[in-house]
Amino acid sequence: MDLFGKSTQNLQRALDYSSLKNQTIAHNIANVDTPGYKAKDVKFDQFLNEASSRLEANRTHAKHLPFDQMEQSFSVKARQNVTYNHNGNSVDLDKEMSELAKNQLYYEAVTERINGKFNTIKTVLGGGS
Amino acid sequence: MTIFHGMNTSGSALTANRFKMDVISSNLANAETTRARVDENGDWQPYRRKLVNQESRDGKFDSFLQQAMNRTNTPGTGVRIDSVTEDQTPFKQVFNPDHPDADEDGYVAMPNVDPLKEMINLMSTTRAYEANVTALNASKGMLMKSLEIGR
Repeated sequence: MDLFGKSTQNLQRALDYSSLKNQTIAHNIANVDTPGYKAKDVKFDQFLNEASSRLEANRTHAKHLPFDQMEQSFSVKARQNVTYNHNGNSVDLDKEMSELAKNQLYYEAVTERINGKFNTIKTVLGGGS
Repeated sequence: MTIFHGMNTSGSALTANRFKMDVISSNLANAETTRARVDENGDWQPYRRKLVNQESRDGKFDSFLQQAMNRTNTPGTGVRIDSVTEDQTPFKQVFNPDHPDADEDGYVAMPNVDPLKEMINLMSTTRAYEANVTALNASKGMLMKSLEIGR
């Protein structure tokens, strides 16, 4: 039975993404003075590849595993097209700090929405009372 | 990859920055020290400026292992102090014949510490420390928020 639905799954993926992004930003800020360090970013670029190469197949039995199970569709990549400091480091602290604030707000928004989902289920279970 | 990954990353940076501040303090404190160590001839050598070499913890084995096991890219585990080396620039020669460590021409070798440089390094390290505290607080805030899921 699909009690929680697709959107809860999507929200969960969004939380995964946001938490990975937070770790990446923390790593960038930690290496703000490390010579030769290249700043990293979390990207959705695998998404397209996976979507186009996904196996199209019919399930002949309900207990067969579904084919549209998506793997983690984001990955950590070194950021391209950035200027480097004299020591080969490419961390832009202002950018990282604003990304950090943005990501935190995003995470809180998704958390709010998940709570909304659960509250909806609670309301249903309580018969609307 | 645990939930505290981001906090550990920031924590490693806080440790590294604090260590750098200690080294800078040592450099500043010894800016006038003419007797730091004895060389092979039994003469006093002035203090040599210490340099901190730090590196990212990306390239370490555990990071690669984690990448291979999870089949995803890990964001890395922060920063570490690789080594402390001595600045090999020559000592400053100051004319001061009354100094007990002066040579026969009246020159004293003073440490190769430039207090101005040290102050600038101290400022950038302080700012980096503050940025990492902010990152740590952000991670903490997100974890606190996720504890509220389902409340």
